[in-house]
Amino acid sequence: MFVQLIINSVIAGSIYTLLALGFTIIYGTLNFFNMAHGIAYALGAYFSYVFRIKLGLALPLAFSLSALVTALTMVGVDRIAYHHLRTRRAPSWALVVSSIGVAIFIESFLSLFFGSDTRSLRLGEATPGYSFFGAIITPVQIWILVVSGILMILLTIYLKMTLMGKALRATSNDPEMSSIVGIHTESIYRSTFALGSALAAIAGSLVALETDVYPTMGHAALLQSIVASIIGGVGNVPGAVFGSFFLGFAENFGIWKMSASWKDGIALILLILFILIRPAISGMEQKK
Amino acid sequence: MNVLFHLLIMSGIYIILALSLNLLLGYAGLFSVGHGAFYGIGAYTAAILATKLGFPFWGEILAAACVAGFFGFLIGFPTLRLRGDYLALATFGFAVILYSVFNNWDALTRGPLGIRGIPRVAFLGLEFKDLWSYAILVGIFVFITIFCIRRFTRSAFGKVLEAIREDDIAALAIGKNIARFKVLAFIISAFFAGVAGVLYAHYVTFIDPASFVIQESFLIFSMVIFGGMGSIGGSVLGAAILVILPEALRYLGLPSAIAANMRQMIFGGLIVFIINWRPEGLLGKSKL
Repeated sequence: MFVQLIINSVIAGSIYTLLALGFTIIYGTLNFFNMAHGIAYALGAYFSYVFRIKLGLALPLAFSLSALVTALTMVGVDRIAYHHLRTRRAPSWALVVSSIGVAIFIESFLSLFFGSDTRSLRLGEATPGYSFFGAIITPVQIWILVVSGILMILLTIYLKMTLMGKALRATSNDPEMSSIVGIHTESIYRSTFALGSALAAIAGSLVALETDVYPTMGHAALLQSIVASIIGGVGNVPGAVFGSFFLGFAENFGIWKMSASWKDGIALILLILFILIRPAISGMEQKK
Repeated sequence: MNVLFHLLIMSGIYIILALSLNLLLGYAGLFSVGHGAFYGIGAYTAAILATKLGFPFWGEILAAACVAGFFGFLIGFPTLRLRGDYLALATFGFAVILYSVFNNWDALTRGPLGIRGIPRVAFLGLEFKDLWSYAILVGIFVFITIFCIRRFTRSAFGKVLEAIREDDIAALAIGKNIARFKVLAFIISAFFAGVAGVLYAHYVTFIDPASFVIQESFLIFSMVIFGGMGSIGGSVLGAAILVILPEALRYLGLPSAIAANMRQMIFGGLIVFIINWRPEGLLGKSKL
């Protein structure tokens, strides 16, 4: 039981990491809580569903295409819903409101287009899991670990070593200064959006291999990305990884003793605790 | 004819909700997105008091509104230090936690089954059994709310709230206890949302957690934004339009599932449109 809980926590933590990394780099550069982040997750799962089940593409291809299409969609959304506010230097809550509108719009569009019933990415019989110190781990879960591990490493390389990554970090530090030294900040904003959404889309596709695809699947994902990023300090990349695993362990060990329906409750209590207490501990900067 | 009264009653309930949220958003500049939580608390308190303890209507509405107000204090007080988007996250989290509580605390709320058989209102020897009489009762409460909110916003109290919204440090400098004013705004706002919850519970006679999902909060929020922040007439108009408009979709002959999604898409699109291109809403004054 104990080993099983640890495995479940690590797998949940890896998915949350993909979500929280996207959420946190979007917050870091664009400076607002993207309430439409869960939508990128749901869109990713639906696009994978279309590519994999409807068009019968190979899984890796379907996933990559889905990430790409989700990223492009979100860049389009950025142009319509956020670009104007950004150029007008609207306060960050206006962007939050706009992203709530985006989330409602796309979610109801998904439910209109695909129907509100659940769909699945699974093909055929569920594969039996491997036994591992008395716990069970399924092949899909191993894939989740591998893919999210690779993506985490790639993202770190991108942020730390490439010119684009440096430009991204510079922009999130000081957009005005960055544009003075010749960084095209608008394209940084767009590419950050694309990158963050693509990560969420892959998380959604991976989860869809195990569970179902449905229009409101983004709610829980949004919650998890918010909580994981807040725990680690929003905008902080290593913090997001830590926060994700912290959340994964807290949820899984929490429901050990409680009913599983309280899982979201645990995440939210962590959210409120960290929002209220963390600034006092670490002097977390609150941007106006 | 019944449809007309139904629309009047629902508009009335949402007008109370929008007005009470407007006190926070438009006047105090407190960015709360979890208003459905107070609405739910009002409705559940009323339902429990009426079905389990047999309270009379007047005692029940007072008790439920006070319980909601107390929760307003519980949320308003710890979040005093938070501003802008962090407050939005905290209130969002609060609304989802309460939904989780409604859904899981079987002993008190009967979980997803909901509470049935909430009696119709009998009050001062009158029985509000018919739709038209209930519409009149709701209308009376709408007028009381409009009257109170008008008095609040035009009083010295309202002016201090506006001062806090514009520049909290200046308000502090002229000796205003901004913490007290902010918490008071939360309590009053939650109090009226609780009243709306009571009216709703007695109207539908059956409540379940599905009526108080986070989308409900977003809906109230979009009514205020649509009508215009800081405008009482705007909130009335915004709530009435957003209640009546989706009903019109039903008469276009669309199946109800499609109509419900179209309604959501219109809300989402409207939020994005308003915040980007007409941030003052229909009748508001505040510019971004």
